[in-house]
Amino acid sequence: MSSEEHLKQTDTEARFEFKKEEKSAFAAEKGLTEETIRVISEDKDEPEWMLQRRLRALEQYKEMPMPTDWPGQPDLSELDVDQIVPYIRPDVDVRGGVDDWTELPDEIKDTFDKLGIPEAEKNALSGVGAQYESEVVYQNMQEQWEEKGVIFCNMDKAVQEHEDLVREHFMTKCVPPSDNKFAALHGAIWSGGSFVYVPEGVTVEMPVQAYFRMNSEGMGQFEHTLIIAEEGSEVHYIEGCSAPKYSAFNLHSGGVEVFVGEDAHVQYSTVQNWSKNTYNLNTKRAIAEKGGRMEWISGSMGSKATMLYPSTILKGRGASDNHITIAMAGEGQDIDTGAKVYHNAPNTKSTIESKSIAKDGGRTNYRGLVHIADGAENSSTAVECDALMFDNESTSDTMPYMEINESKVDVAHEATVGKIGDEDIFYLQSRGLDDDDAKQMIVSGFIEPITEELPIEYAVELNRLVELEMEGSLG
Amino acid sequence: MSTQVTANLSEDVVRQLSEERNEPDWLTNTRLEALAALEGLDLPDVIQTPGRRWTNLEALDFESLVDPLDQSDETIRDVEGDAEVLTFREAIDEHEELVRETFGSVIDPHHNYLTALSTALFTTGTVIYVPEGVDAGDVTIRAEMNSRSLFSQTLVVTEKSASVTILESIESGDVEVDGHRYFSNLVEVVGGENSYVQYGSLQNVDRETYTYTLKRGDADTYATVNWIEGNLGSQLTRSDVETELNGDGSETKIVGAFFGHEEQHLDINARVWHQAEHTTADLVTRGVLDDEARSVYEGVQDVGRDAWNTSSYQRENTLMLSDESEADASPKLIIHNHDTEASHSATVGQVDAEEMFYMTSRALDPTTARNMLVEGFFVPVLEEIEVDAFREELQELIAARLR
Repeated sequence: MSSEEHLKQTDTEARFEFKKEEKSAFAAEKGLTEETIRVISEDKDEPEWMLQRRLRALEQYKEMPMPTDWPGQPDLSELDVDQIVPYIRPDVDVRGGVDDWTELPDEIKDTFDKLGIPEAEKNALSGVGAQYESEVVYQNMQEQWEEKGVIFCNMDKAVQEHEDLVREHFMTKCVPPSDNKFAALHGAIWSGGSFVYVPEGVTVEMPVQAYFRMNSEGMGQFEHTLIIAEEGSEVHYIEGCSAPKYSAFNLHSGGVEVFVGEDAHVQYSTVQNWSKNTYNLNTKRAIAEKGGRMEWISGSMGSKATMLYPSTILKGRGASDNHITIAMAGEGQDIDTGAKVYHNAPNTKSTIESKSIAKDGGRTNYRGLVHIADGAENSSTAVECDALMFDNESTSDTMPYMEINESKVDVAHEATVGKIGDEDIFYLQSRGLDDDDAKQMIVSGFIEPITEELPIEYAVELNRLVELEMEGSLG
Repeated sequence: MSTQVTANLSEDVVRQLSEERNEPDWLTNTRLEALAALEGLDLPDVIQTPGRRWTNLEALDFESLVDPLDQSDETIRDVEGDAEVLTFREAIDEHEELVRETFGSVIDPHHNYLTALSTALFTTGTVIYVPEGVDAGDVTIRAEMNSRSLFSQTLVVTEKSASVTILESIESGDVEVDGHRYFSNLVEVVGGENSYVQYGSLQNVDRETYTYTLKRGDADTYATVNWIEGNLGSQLTRSDVETELNGDGSETKIVGAFFGHEEQHLDINARVWHQAEHTTADLVTRGVLDDEARSVYEGVQDVGRDAWNTSSYQRENTLMLSDESEADASPKLIIHNHDTEASHSATVGQVDAEEMFYMTSRALDPTTARNMLVEGFFVPVLEEIEVDAFREELQELIAARLR
């Protein structure tokens, strides 16, 4: 059975919305104190420098105000970090993860089975990491890549086994905790996540994947992803996220740092489908050296509120960046996403393609920043945003910012907003499609430029998620 | 951040201004209320991105800029057709009820610190009244600023099915004043049902002057309020041109042109609110930057919940002639109604190398070629100007800057 068939056969709602009884070996107290952080760090047997970094981030977190004065930003007033359980270790003896699905306890294995992860691994991936609550429970890398020196392991393990690399790159140059309040929070209580290291000149031909699953009520997930691609290397990292729906709020505040070496190429794809009571407040950033190429591909479907602006610093001459994003907001959702690109060197190039769909009172916002520094001559950037709206209760905003300090540049921004065309629907109906199918077809066509960039499993998943969202509204 | 009231402002000063003009009590009170509000009001919102504020209005020292009792201007008001064009004082004598009803109805005097300051202290201004059904033709207002500070207030009222084209220009006079100066201009347009207003404005004050202008129109059913805003002068310009489309089928066009050189700072804003059905807006701004000039542009298209069948377009293009210049732009779309066709775009670039090559290969020297391309860049904006004299003047000012 191909993964596409697998996905078709699994009822999508059942795939993402099921929840398991909470079972944990260790759960930190609610809220955030120095004591909690010491306990997490000790439980992970971390070196002293990491504990110190956590404590410093905690100080910064306490000092920084909540972001509340951005024009049109999502409402964070109901988010009470003190009510969030920051750390849960699942009740299994899989510290550091296992490398065989059969070694996982049935209920966890079942979870990932339902999500279709093992199936995808067999068919299309170089390696898989799976995180359940705060810990990575499964980790596997195909041998052929390991032989070439590629490292793909969970972040906690990386702190132990690749300490020098982690110490140099972890929340230092790319995403320092001082970047924003939630980056600081993340720096204090991060747990789990992935570490990817690709040595010079190595091309990892199949994507590596990590899947994050939040299962418990009222918890926070703070996984950290660190990708280091050395000169001339190439890797594609895929991340998937989901959580069932509970009445209490969940908080997801991940951190992603990507180092794109000279002439290296990193693609980072993610489809996130957090439950609709999750606050998704992430910081993702890449630094691209000379000739390096960074590609972000993201689909933001779930969550109550998302504030996420993956950014790239084009540091070396001729570095380039592509952003492809799609956001969909339904009832009660506020998806505030965009992209940031800093052109800090000559001959750098970026493109941003953003599509959003708002319906049933949902709100989507594109918030982007393109900064072209003085001296970044012959740089070019093109930003394109398209929004599709279903009904009059929904809202869609576009707030791009462009800071241009250099004259020898080519900057273009374009955005359009439109409703679903009555004529298009009429045309499809006159060809025998019912209203729902017609609308679904139009939406699928609208997002096609994005889905065609995704690996097939993800394109299928994204389409299924869109269909699921649509069914809910049109039934 | 609220701003302190400067020491040279007091109730007595405001009363004196009002008494000298023999104003009715309600206007004196409006001024006094604006003065009282100053302490709690903020300067106009300025775009901020992490780590920076795009325009630094806080740096203006109102203490030394504002000299309320020594305001002086030379203003010529030319009327070709049937509009009633009156100084603010004349208008109060002749149409007190009209002024009382409409003054402050489009721009809330307490909108921000600078609007309140202007309301409390204005000494010059024009009221243009076009009665129902009158096609008034062209009105020209040429103002010269002859003092350290000058506060001006313009009110345009077009009744049902009336129409008028207004051109306003502001320059610095020959009077010598040491140090920096401040010019403030508030313009309100009350566009009645099915009426038509084109309001063109050309600011070319000297480099010692800071300017603030807020122009806002209210368009009733089927009304059209069009704006043309040309900014060439001033050290620091803050210009807000806005239309509220409050009536079904109303329209607006906001056309902007700016040309900054040396160390000029231009903060240009165009905003439109679609509040009714079948409204249309078109925002077009073109600007050129040379030397170390800096431009900040914000365009807002806000489509309200009840604004069914909206069409809204925005374009902004900046041409950079120098490496030291900086152009920041933020074109915003805020959409609450799905029955909308909207787009916005912004570009920044330099003079096209291929075009330059083409022209120099036709034997034009590079400077002439570049100047022709810059002049050509403004054509889409110039084409929107209905009055020949105004278009030619803007064209000449652009050409003069290129020589």
